[in-house]
Amino acid sequence: MRPAKLNNARAPQPGVISGIQYTCASDGLDEMVDATGSTRAHWLPFVRSLEGMGMEQVNQSWQEARHLIREYGVTYNVYGDPHGTERPWELDPIPLLIPQEQSRGLADALAQRARLLELTLADLYGPQTLLREQILPPELVFANPGFLRPVHGVRPAGGRYLSIYAANLARAPDGTFWCLGDRTQAPSGAGYALKNRIVLSRMLPDVFRELRVERLAHFFQGLRQSLRELSPTNCEEPRVVLLTPGPYNETYFEHAFLARYLGFTLVEGADLTVRDNKVYLKLLEGLQRVDVIFRRLNDDFCDPLELRGDSFLGVPGLVHAVRQGNVAVANALGSGLVEAQALTPYLDALCRHLLSEDLRVPSVPTLWCGNHNSLQMVLSRLDRMLIKPAFGATRMEPIFGDSLTADKLKELETRLRTTPEAFTAQEITPLSTAPVLVDGRLEARPVVLRTFLAARQDSYSLMPGGLTRFSAATLTRTVAMQDGGGSKDTWMLSNEPVGSFSLLPQRAQPIEITRGGGDLPSRVADNLFWLGRHAERTDGLTRLLRGILVRCTERSGLTETPELPALLTALPPSSQLNADTFEDPRTALETRRGVRPEDLLELILNPNRTGSLAFALSTVQQVAGMVRDYLSVDMWRVLAGLGVDRTQASAGPPPQTACEDAPRLLSEGLDFLDTTVESLAAFSGLAAESMTRGAGWRFLDMGRRLERSVHLLSLLEHALGLTRGNEGPLLEAVLEVADSSMTYRRRYLGDLQAAAVLDLLLTDRTNPRSLIFQLLALADDVRNLPSRKDNFEETLALETLAALRLAEMEELAVADKRGRRSNLVALLRNLSSKLPVFSDLITERYLSHLQASRHLGGNRSGGRE
Amino acid sequence: MKLQVIHRTIYAYSKPVSLCHNVAHLSARATAQQTPLHRELEVQPSPRSFATFTDFFGNAAHFFSVEESHQQLSVTAAQTVEVTPHSTVDPGVSPPWEEARTSSSKSLEVHPFTLASTYIKPFAEIAAYALVSFRPGRRMLDAALELTRRIHEEFEYDPNATTISTPVQEVLERRRGVCQDFAHLEISCLRSLGLAARYVSGYLRTLPPPGEPRLVGADATHAWVSVYCPSLGWVDLDPTNNLIPSEGHVLLAHGRDFDDVTPIKGVILGGGEHSVAVSVDVCPVP
Repeated sequence: MRPAKLNNARAPQPGVISGIQYTCASDGLDEMVDATGSTRAHWLPFVRSLEGMGMEQVNQSWQEARHLIREYGVTYNVYGDPHGTERPWELDPIPLLIPQEQSRGLADALAQRARLLELTLADLYGPQTLLREQILPPELVFANPGFLRPVHGVRPAGGRYLSIYAANLARAPDGTFWCLGDRTQAPSGAGYALKNRIVLSRMLPDVFRELRVERLAHFFQGLRQSLRELSPTNCEEPRVVLLTPGPYNETYFEHAFLARYLGFTLVEGADLTVRDNKVYLKLLEGLQRVDVIFRRLNDDFCDPLELRGDSFLGVPGLVHAVRQGNVAVANALGSGLVEAQALTPYLDALCRHLLSEDLRVPSVPTLWCGNHNSLQMVLSRLDRMLIKPAFGATRMEPIFGDSLTADKLKELETRLRTTPEAFTAQEITPLSTAPVLVDGRLEARPVVLRTFLAARQDSYSLMPGGLTRFSAATLTRTVAMQDGGGSKDTWMLSNEPVGSFSLLPQRAQPIEITRGGGDLPSRVADNLFWLGRHAERTDGLTRLLRGILVRCTERSGLTETPELPALLTALPPSSQLNADTFEDPRTALETRRGVRPEDLLELILNPNRTGSLAFALSTVQQVAGMVRDYLSVDMWRVLAGLGVDRTQASAGPPPQTACEDAPRLLSEGLDFLDTTVESLAAFSGLAAESMTRGAGWRFLDMGRRLERSVHLLSLLEHALGLTRGNEGPLLEAVLEVADSSMTYRRRYLGDLQAAAVLDLLLTDRTNPRSLIFQLLALADDVRNLPSRKDNFEETLALETLAALRLAEMEELAVADKRGRRSNLVALLRNLSSKLPVFSDLITERYLSHLQASRHLGGNRSGGRE
Repeated sequence: MKLQVIHRTIYAYSKPVSLCHNVAHLSARATAQQTPLHRELEVQPSPRSFATFTDFFGNAAHFFSVEESHQQLSVTAAQTVEVTPHSTVDPGVSPPWEEARTSSSKSLEVHPFTLASTYIKPFAEIAAYALVSFRPGRRMLDAALELTRRIHEEFEYDPNATTISTPVQEVLERRRGVCQDFAHLEISCLRSLGLAARYVSGYLRTLPPPGEPRLVGADATHAWVSVYCPSLGWVDLDPTNNLIPSEGHVLLAHGRDFDDVTPIKGVILGGGEHSVAVSVDVCPVP
């Protein structure tokens, strides 16, 4: 290790810069410090600024920046993470600096590489002269899962394969850049690079200005322009959509962010449909033609009909729409072909053959084991090689030969000999290091730079920046976000003043005033509808459970609670407690102590039980995750905070507790229910106060109103369908669960009567908890939906209303000799039967094209079906 | 001889299907042994879009989509094909199989059929099974014919034993299956040795010429194998019936395996439960 002198102009002054120390490994190359331990010239202004700020100030700004990241909700999903799949984006406050001498050269050299790959794709999906003239071995195409036969011979709209291209760069031992790999189908990271820039330029505004950092906006403007130009027909106002695999994808945040930044509609495969060989977006108002699909879906997932059949993330019929030239897909379907690492050793020859030039950004020396001589070379020094899959589609961790035992090496050799064509090998070379802020100090970490190029007429322009990634540990030689590293902003420095062009809305520029909320895909409407339903269902369950739990705690053993059995029967079927205890409500009156606290707590806390509150809460979060882009930061935060503390949940359901522990556990359960009621109320409050009354809100509201009606009808039927002697306590409980006790008490004081309760809960239109209030709200929602000729839903809502208005409360409250309120039950059941019809009508009318796609069953050859 | 083929497939759904997209390989390919004379493809309800294109393997493929709500989809392929007897092949002129292995990696037309594909993945047991016939230095076609005969003898035709997605490994273990399984099995054997083999989908004459036995697989679409043999070219082999196909076989399409030439594949929206009924009728016409 060598200590670095950060400021070689002046001697370090203790006290002023004592906080800034940086030590880098002596064997590798460091970005900031040269071999003699001096700070590189292009880092000097930055280092001076850091010193000027002092580490304390840097750390403090950094805390603020991190807060900004959480605020934006920048996340990165990690597959298979047991603690939920979302993790905040890790950004380091020290950017990677690249001087102008280097970045200019890089721009031309990488553009050459992009053109080369573009020409290679055009040949391999066309005449394949590269194979006929034996420039490339045929396995690189025919054994490559990235070669999509259905698009062979199909010229992509706009004639272009690569609209965006990314290269992973590292420093060669001589300090120049070399390429670790190419990303050609749907490269990720450009959006994160932009986000990093936004955060960092706010954190270090002065340094940023002083250092003349090149701006990113021109790059994105160019990308947007070239994507729009791909449109095969509509050239004036082409509709461009960004196709995402959905919220579970690791880089979903970036998809949503880029779509918004570029002004494209964010869609999932299910939002698109192919009709008459053209692609349409399913909006609530109907179908809208799509001209260009900017996709973040891998090649083989794009069409379950002609490409990979085991996934429905894509759009059935898309390949044929492309074949007919009716839609442009960027990057073109099949572009992943040239991502194969096995192609790397051939790029030099390809470049000379196709461009008559030498390849200007070399690749890390790579061997493809499918070549006999290469395989022998690899096997002769396997303990110094890094083994990677030959083709991109293979998910395989790279293997470092130098970290293997003799046995493992032998095993690897056998694998290589068995299917040599599946592997490539690279010499293990150290990555360069750069300073990373760790626990308030600078530490050296290996870095890899991902750069992006966007098509511009017949060449490519480089993003003057990029996504620098560093690994979590000092010794790791691979850098992958999946494994818990972090990222840095990349500053390409200019010697001249830089403009301040930005695609972000500027305050100074007048914007067009609009009242529209953009297009609402039907899928989003559907998810909002279900979010409303689940949130309200959960609210109902929480309140009911609270009513039950209260009666099992404070009054336990003091007074009888005759209302308890009726409340227990009102629980939804999937949430029923040990049912045999309560077969007969009359005997149940005497067996209140049959409710075991541990059963109740399990029903509240066990996330693995269908019907439990914890389960319902996680369902709400899941559904909300699918429409996260349509919820405010606050709404999302409220929902994210819902649920059982993970540590509590992972401890499993409470053990068969001793009786003396029960009161404490029940009171904790009660606290949890109170918190949940509050959170859900906060969510609906935010929905009411911060969502515009567009179609999205209407669907959320309809879901909520429907579900509240269902809950109320069920509660009333179970609690009041049968009279049970002294009804006072039960009526009080019903009012409590229906959140109307305060109003009742104000009106009637302590005089509890069924007719008055029914009036308040069924037909009082001033009570936001009453049934009629829900129905009126539903009718209003329906009236405000995008209209289609007739309006059955409204008719139905009005019919239901009429049935309710005609009811006489006194008659409903009357019970027959056996205690049955048959009038009430008949009305409640009549109303209950109408609600599902209403829900179905809405679904059929607005959301019918949301059915899931499926494959036709096979008629295999020779099988007698 | 002229053969008329009528191949009807009917899908019935318990709930309406609002949209379906399909790709079909239902048109006989022109080859040295057969000339398609006439073909009709009828889809009911009538498709909103219909297009014919040539797929990567040179087969005619049809894309069609039905965009009106329907509970039944019927696809009828009717065609007339002139077939001529295949010239007899002499196994004696084929080179030792090891030579075929090296030469098949040369040509771009043959090479793709030596590699793994969706249904054909190499595994150790399958090579061992193949090597019993492919003894060192043996003539390519002798060995291939023996392999075909062994599959015919050692495997039982049993439509209930496998499904469309039963892997070859399982077919090899259980020694039963249908013609598609036997074709995949033989192709796996050949490719595991580095030889080029392709999957052929087609039909058999429903009723045999007088005095000859009825062939297995005649009541549905049939499948067999084509192996590449230097100096002879592609030679067809039918492991289900242990013979070299001739004028009783009508060839539809060839590819690396079933996945490349599935007679009809489709993606539907809606539909609930569904059932499929297939009928194939192949008979000589004047």
